Amino acid sequence: MAYSDKVVDHFNNPRNMGSFKKDDADVGTGMVGAPECGDVMKLQIKVQNDTIVDAKFKTFGCGSAIASSSLATEWLKGKTIEEAQKIKNTDIVQELNLPPVKIHCSVLAEDAIKAALADYQKKTDGQPTGTK
Amino acid sequence: MDNHQSSSHPDTRRQLQMARSMCWHCQSEVTGEYFCDRCVKVQPVSKETDYFTCLGFPRRLMLDPQKLEAKFYELSRTFHPDFYQTKSADEQTISLSNAAVLNTAYRTLRAPIQRAEYLLALETGSVKDIRTSPPADLFEEILELQDTLEEYRASDRDSDQGHRLRSTLQTEQEALERRKHEMEAQLQQLFADWDKLQDAGEATSLARVERDRILKQMRDLLSNRTYVNNIVNDLAATIA
Repeated sequence: MAYSDKVVDHFNNPRNMGSFKKDDADVGTGMVGAPECGDVMKLQIKVQNDTIVDAKFKTFGCGSAIASSSLATEWLKGKTIEEAQKIKNTDIVQELNLPPVKIHCSVLAEDAIKAALADYQKKTDGQPTGTK
Repeated sequence: MDNHQSSSHPDTRRQLQMARSMCWHCQSEVTGEYFCDRCVKVQPVSKETDYFTCLGFPRRLMLDPQKLEAKFYELSRTFHPDFYQTKSADEQTISLSNAAVLNTAYRTLRAPIQRAEYLLALETGSVKDIRTSPPADLFEEILELQDTLEEYRASDRDSDQGHRLRSTLQTEQEALERRKHEMEAQLQQLFADWDKLQDAGEATSLARVERDRILKQMRDLLSNRTYVNNIVNDLAATIA
């Protein structure tokens, strides 16, 4: 099964590859892996005033896993925490036209988003949102 | 009412079991492994039959590879198409599909790691059910190594930088291979623990705790081993 043009595009020109300092207070880090295939994904968000101002990822895995996380970071930028929660793996599947055998890659990306949001929220827990 | 309920239960179960082991041809009960005792017709492997049962082994993790192979060859002969050329179309179909199941069963159980993965899936339903917290340290390491790999791929292999990166990667590869072997040794211990627990066959709550411990640790180790294995292969392929 050939990769869709969008997957190839994200794979060849990954958006937002890299990382933030994970100890920074305004950074949320999601680190997930798929034991079945051994893919590893790190997705980070930078948050200001409840809005994701920047996102970065690093992925070790197949083309679909890289494309899924690349797309996820694109989508995350500019979204509020609440909006980001609503991103579903099915949205990624649709956008990238992933075949059934690659759906787990999109699940991994959704898990990474959720983990990054949870990490950020854990850091800011007890503090009023929007503090500098 | 209560009486009726409790007496009807075992009965239903027995009927179900009998229905499953009824000969497709003569409808008599099948007690043998793969053939009807009465009409000697080959019986299909049921979809619910797990690979251990299919090959006639208990759910153990330290199977004797020679015995496993011997049983596989024996059953391969049993279902070989040559012996069914003069038989009915039904029997030919059954023997062929049995042979296919048998091949998959043997391929799955032959390799100890795959065998353990399969057992985990059987014992826990879906492997994802006991999905563990990801090993963050290991992931960081893998992703960092990935960066070094990229750097090496982009570098001039014959330059000083290329040589330096290559030797860094080589050291990392050796360290990871050692870790992989350590994990495999730990897995071996868990395999032995599992077999011991199964052989004891106790249904105490203590045994259940031990069972969960083994399965959980096995899941963790198998996952981490996959991650390490992938990066080791990637390293090996890149610096080869």
